[in-house]
Amino acid sequence: MNESTNEQIDEILMNKEADQLQKRKARFARGLVRSAETTLAELEENPDLPESMHYFINIMREVFVKDRAHRLLLPSQNQSANNRKIIGTYCLMVPEELIYAAGATPVRLCGGNYEASLAGDELVPRDTCPVVKASIGFTSLNLMSLYQMCDAVIVPTTCDAKRKMGEELSKFTEVWMLEVPHIKDSEGSRRQWLQQLYALKNNIEKFTGKSFIRRKIRRKALDASIKMIGSAQYQARRLYDIRKSSAAIISGRDAMFAINAYSYDTAFKWTKAMTRLNDELEVRCHKGQFICSEHTPRILIAGSPPIFPNWKIPSLIEEMGAVIVADESCMGNRYLYDPIGLTEKSVTDMMVGIAARYIMPCVCPSFAPNEDRLFRLLQMAEEFSIDGIIYHVLKGCVIYDFELIRVEKIMKGKNIPVLRIETDYSPEDIEQLRTRIEAFVEMLGIRKER
Amino acid sequence: MTVTNLRWMALIISFLVLILGGLIGLDLGGFLPVYACPYVGQTRGGVCFLFRLQFILGVGSWEAFKALGEHLLYFSILVVLIGRAWCGWICPFGFLQDVLDLIRRKLHIGYIRFPERLRANLRCIKWIFFFIALLIPLWVAYPLLAPSVAGDLRQPFCQLCPGKYILPLIIGNPDSVAVDFKSATTITMTILGLTFSTIAIIGALLKRRFWCPYCPMGLLLSWYKKISFIKLKKDCQKCTMCEVCYNVCPVEIQQVFKERENEDVTFTDCTLCLRCVEYCPEDGALRATFLGKTIYKSTSKGFFSRQHIIPGVTDDQVIR
Repeated sequence: MNESTNEQIDEILMNKEADQLQKRKARFARGLVRSAETTLAELEENPDLPESMHYFINIMREVFVKDRAHRLLLPSQNQSANNRKIIGTYCLMVPEELIYAAGATPVRLCGGNYEASLAGDELVPRDTCPVVKASIGFTSLNLMSLYQMCDAVIVPTTCDAKRKMGEELSKFTEVWMLEVPHIKDSEGSRRQWLQQLYALKNNIEKFTGKSFIRRKIRRKALDASIKMIGSAQYQARRLYDIRKSSAAIISGRDAMFAINAYSYDTAFKWTKAMTRLNDELEVRCHKGQFICSEHTPRILIAGSPPIFPNWKIPSLIEEMGAVIVADESCMGNRYLYDPIGLTEKSVTDMMVGIAARYIMPCVCPSFAPNEDRLFRLLQMAEEFSIDGIIYHVLKGCVIYDFELIRVEKIMKGKNIPVLRIETDYSPEDIEQLRTRIEAFVEMLGIRKER
Repeated sequence: MTVTNLRWMALIISFLVLILGGLIGLDLGGFLPVYACPYVGQTRGGVCFLFRLQFILGVGSWEAFKALGEHLLYFSILVVLIGRAWCGWICPFGFLQDVLDLIRRKLHIGYIRFPERLRANLRCIKWIFFFIALLIPLWVAYPLLAPSVAGDLRQPFCQLCPGKYILPLIIGNPDSVAVDFKSATTITMTILGLTFSTIAIIGALLKRRFWCPYCPMGLLLSWYKKISFIKLKKDCQKCTMCEVCYNVCPVEIQQVFKERENEDVTFTDCTLCLRCVEYCPEDGALRATFLGKTIYKSTSKGFFSRQHIIPGVTDDQVIR
């Protein structure tokens, strides 16, 4: 008698808990849709928005607002498409070429949403960066179907937070860790990285095969996928070149947004859309349709990546009258900049090329020593004729913050002011940031006029 | 026309000239800084400097040394002119290795890469060859010890050089691949030479430009790298350290992408094949200069066309 009452009580409690969880999830999901839609609407309001940007806005809307990622990643509903595996990736060290070559679809999952970061808050230590909080929040609460769709998730061991995130995520989904060496100069670590990639290739082959039969990644498929991503990189580089023009043709938040959309789209479709955008921008350039004058302060965003829907910093900068002409984040310019160079079509050469592309030119601060990043920044400052740098530090992102001192020092030599901004995804500090950015932009404007 | 095609053309033409030039009465002299092997016979179009060096040292007379000075002068002029581009663009043995490499590539077999440590250890081989070519001929000239052995050691490096065995074979002279049973010395030398030849052929099938790092001629040529007119230069700020130049380099020079201070990146082993410039994805990060004037530089467009991502951009636009 007593026991059954207890069971009943337990059941009621459990139901109540589940109910609360459901409510909580619904609340976060509503918040997510709202904040994503606000950012998208803001982008759409822009009178200078290129026509071809609507494709990218639409992608983000499908993923974040309408929650229909499957439409993008599994376009046809026939039998073979339904068997198509989707592999989630974090950071940019995961070779998408291998995933495409195996007939699977990669999707990059790094989270940029405030509500998701709140949801992840209680699963990680307080000082964790919001990217990890949001990624865990998304996965644990299933806020978006995108995270559920992934059959496996690959987490490279880059910074401490991402490394431990991989461990936490394995509670909810299948996680493969990918060990990235942190010293890239040494021959040993490069060799070990190549071995890691061969192991990953094996894993992917087993995963995409049927039952126990491995589905080998063929030479031709690998070559084709390298070319496919190469075309995407070529288009990304075209956009990069367009942004060098002395009067901006596209606003920074649009350009960054278009690149960010690559995370959720297939490379082939994205490349087509990007080609259209670049063509349109080149026409605008010929017609002299600039979005601002040559005297507008040109800003480089360095540091932690702004990830959609956290468009707080890019929006603020451009609202204050500056223009973002470049960023060096792993969600922006660096995402699709470095191509794979091949001279022959053997699997060996392709694997060596892939291994080199994913770590050697990468200037993620999780590498040490990371002198390359300083060279990269100097080169960018020159190429884009930068007037000022806004150094974005997401709260908890220690490694980017570490490098600030070096960046400030070399930029002082070039007489380029650097403004450090530490923030997270919450909208609370917007007004305070606005004041600081406004003052910075104003100062740059005065310097430029002189 | 890409630089690679241009290089193939240069290699084919110089192969024909150096190996078969004698048929039309060509003789370019005995101071050529390439494997223009005299053992090819009457059809040769010139003679390798190393052969002439050993020959002259082996004579040992005062007139001979004067002739050597003259040869050295001509040799130096040729090397200063285009540096180790002799190796990458003209050498017949280099051409042969590139052909073997092409076969490997067409079969889609991957290449072997030696670990850095092994490479460093093998670096002494070319010095050993060099001293064999320099010192033993003097012993031949003044045989104070074991004169019978010295007598059979004429042109000692040539007896070891794979060029002596392989190049005559190419034009259908199978006599060259036989062991010389004249004396114990010749037997040893020819067996060693045949072994090196076999290693060189198999090596070249598995590793790009296998023989070049061990070639004593290459060592001689590399001493001129500071004063030679052709140089490989790098803009260290533009370089992203993407390692592409290392992966495409037939002699696997790491220093080019690792260099962060000096502009001059013409390193000892570099054969100036310019593949790194051709495949560098950054505009102007790498370039080749002739007397300080840029003759060829890397472009992002060129890179993507070489990867067959965009329709061909020809190098005519960048070669000035």
